[in-house]
Amino acid sequence: MTIDWWTLGLQAANVLILMWLLSRVFWRPVAGAIAKRKETVQAMLDVAKTTQENADTALVEVTKIREDIAAERDAILSAAREDADKAGKAALDEAHKKIEKNNAAAQLSLAHDTDVVRKKTAAQAAELSTEIAAKLLGSLNKSTVQTAFLDALVNAIKNMSAKDRATLAESTEGINLVSAADLEDADKELITKAVTRELGNNSGIHFATDPDLIAGLEIRTAHFTLHNSWQSDLARILREMKDAI
Amino acid sequence: MRDPPQTGGAGMKSPLESLPVFHLGPVPITQAVLTTWAIMIVMVIGAFLLTRRLDLVATRRQAALELLVTTLDNQIHETSGAKPVLYRSFIGTLFLFILIANWSSLIPGIEPPTARLETDAALAVLVFLSVIWFGIRGTGVGGYLRSFATPNPVMIPLNMLQSITRAFSMFVRLFGNVMSGVFVIGIVASLAGLLVPIPLMALDLLTGLVQAYIFAVLAIVFITSTVEDGARHPEDPKSPLPSDKKDI
Repeated sequence: MTIDWWTLGLQAANVLILMWLLSRVFWRPVAGAIAKRKETVQAMLDVAKTTQENADTALVEVTKIREDIAAERDAILSAAREDADKAGKAALDEAHKKIEKNNAAAQLSLAHDTDVVRKKTAAQAAELSTEIAAKLLGSLNKSTVQTAFLDALVNAIKNMSAKDRATLAESTEGINLVSAADLEDADKELITKAVTRELGNNSGIHFATDPDLIAGLEIRTAHFTLHNSWQSDLARILREMKDAI
Repeated sequence: MRDPPQTGGAGMKSPLESLPVFHLGPVPITQAVLTTWAIMIVMVIGAFLLTRRLDLVATRRQAALELLVTTLDNQIHETSGAKPVLYRSFIGTLFLFILIANWSSLIPGIEPPTARLETDAALAVLVFLSVIWFGIRGTGVGGYLRSFATPNPVMIPLNMLQSITRAFSMFVRLFGNVMSGVFVIGIVASLAGLLVPIPLMALDLLTGLVQAYIFAVLAIVFITSTVEDGARHPEDPKSPLPSDKKDI
């Protein structure tokens, strides 16, 4: 076994040269590419980290803003709810008052209408009662009634003031004595005597007939009327009843 | 120059002899040197072509190259604990050259340079010198010399002898494995025809890979051992490597 030292040295030099060449064209470029990628990735990671931090900060701010908005919304809703409650309560109170007012007005109107109807009904009843009374009175004994009305006429003349009685007696146009039906001559004479006796004048008595009187004797002049009939009585009663209603 | 010894078989040459193909002045150029030059050319041109367009977004080719470099860096870092950049070119080139040289035996008519004594001895000498170089570079001359006194000065002669014998063992291990593989394949091929040696050639591929790996790992282990021994405090040889020396 022998070793060729030239070859050994040459091979050592070859390997050293190969190391130098590969260092230039292989190891450094590839390692440089790896390092460059690592730096780029690290830079991207740093940027991503910064972006993430910014995003986190923004998220916190947005969350806070959203919470503030939510709180503000709740406050606004609460205030609006309170306002709505107040407005509703006020509207309800006003409606209640209006309803009460309307009820009062309706009750008043109803009472008024009822009163009007009652008065109208009462008036109708009074009229009906006077009509019934007139019919009933019309069926009574005429001579007795005639006598009673003559006495009443005489008392009425007596109760007149002296001045009125003198004016009535001095009437030049005469006195119209109205009865409900045509009188008999005897009755006319009796009536004429009684009136003349009370007034002192017997020349101006004219008899007339008015069926509306039902029964009675009334003195009528151009300026004076002495009511003395059931018609006037019933009219007075009816008037008093209406006044009383 | 001597005639090639015949060891048996038809035309088989002694693996222990290197015959020059031609002379370049006083320098004999052997087949191993020519093959080494061819391997160098292929490796340099191939590396140049492969690393022409390295981009931030890696292609499959670039990814494969980066995987190779990253794996080498990791291996160096896990073995030495140091930054890979210092040893990458040396260890990486050793590994690739030995691997390609071992596998060049698959090309018909080519004898791997690592099957010759001179090539393996040259590689072992480079490792021996690199241990000295990296030791002095990392810890200074004093530190390098101090590394022989680990764990105590009594061990100086043995450590000095060890620094030679371990390089010699690397040389013998690589030569023996590669040469034996080539020799066995040659014998079997001469006896049993073309197809029979194929399994042995496949085994030779594995052997070539393993030997390249072992050589490279042992080189970084020896370098690291020297650097760490030189960096340790002399009063406490068992102390761990100082943190500021980790990257040397």
